Amino acid sequence: MTRQLVAGSALLFLFAARLTAHHSFGAEYDATKPVTISGVLTKIEWTNPHSFIYLDVADEKGNVANWKMEGYPPNVLYRNGWQKDATMKPGDKITVTGWRSRDGTNWGQSREITLPSGKKMVFGPPAGTGDGGSSSVVEVH
Amino acid sequence: MRRIVLALLIGITSFALVVMAQNKKTSGAVPRASDGKPDLTGVWQGGSNVPGPWQEANSGLGLGGNGTNPNVPGLRSASERPPGEAAPYQPWAAQKVLELYKRRGVDDPVSLCMPPGPTRAATQGLFPIQFVQTPKQITILYEYMNTFRIIPLSSKHPDDIVPTYMGDSVGHWDGDTLVVDAIGFNDRTWLQGTGTFHTEALHVTERFTRISKDQINYEATMEDPNVFTKPWTIRSTIMLREGTRVREAVCAENNVDAARFQKYEKDGVSFGR
Repeated sequence: MTRQLVAGSALLFLFAARLTAHHSFGAEYDATKPVTISGVLTKIEWTNPHSFIYLDVADEKGNVANWKMEGYPPNVLYRNGWQKDATMKPGDKITVTGWRSRDGTNWGQSREITLPSGKKMVFGPPAGTGDGGSSSVVEVH
Repeated sequence: MRRIVLALLIGITSFALVVMAQNKKTSGAVPRASDGKPDLTGVWQGGSNVPGPWQEANSGLGLGGNGTNPNVPGLRSASERPPGEAAPYQPWAAQKVLELYKRRGVDDPVSLCMPPGPTRAATQGLFPIQFVQTPKQITILYEYMNTFRIIPLSSKHPDDIVPTYMGDSVGHWDGDTLVVDAIGFNDRTWLQGTGTFHTEALHVTERFTRISKDQINYEATMEDPNVFTKPWTIRSTIMLREGTRVREAVCAENNVDAARFQKYEKDGVSFGR
């Protein structure tokens, strides 16, 4: 039964919307380098074409680095349940999953944020969004 | 055995209920304008075939994954290959498209906040589209790149067209289908999928057919003898999103990505495939 429901759910996912991005996340961020970071939110930029969040993340030795994580633009977030200055605020301790920048800096693409309440919300697109996908639109022989 | 039969029955019934619910939502009558034509007025979402209000219809799906599990495979992006045949580029042009694909789309004109062109604007799914219909003119407002098209009905293209991103559009009704003829494009947009460049010779014919209260069937035929071997037709669906509004979205506000790509190239950071 569970399996049937999972299969049914998977079918429904196939009917979802077609994404687009203003730029290639797949070029900027490395889909083979997932990252999960926890820290204190220091700044939120609700800006176009993409939002950014900044958080102070401490390593095991206690050294703190400020990370910058990119996400969807504000309107996309607002339409899907986010509220500016309410859903999360500087000072909140959050966890962010995503993928690292290809240049290895403390910069990444966000995907999911775990809020202080424990609630998880999507903040950025899936890995590779905007990079053209798994096959080209042309067939060159 | 009894449990299996019961599980199967529950499964089939659940699926039937979902299908019935979807059919019920999409079976509403097509609203008509005062002149009897289908009235396209409203706020819509391209690239989707799920009926209902925005958040319910997407419920995280439009963001890729299911909104609670980010590991669900990402949904197809409008930068990816659309369903159907490969784009019929001439061999030299196909090679160029492939090179742009191998560079993972960093040359995408929209990464510089440029307007996306009508075919891409109609098929992307993250940003709503508003149709404003009168008997003599249809206006389409796109939140994506905050652009618009003014489409006079039963009129000819002007004689003084200067090439633009969204082109010059005129429309007419073919029965219940709105047909939009667009020319006058510059060569600075991609049509559909990464690298799909074209020249100023581009001619786009779009057909918008509202088949129910909730759904418009969209078809676009793109002709450009300078790059294609034959016309290229793509199809998609556009869904009504009652309660959604088109908002301001100024792309140039904080566009740092193009500079990042330039820095990658300067620093030799590998990003291609």
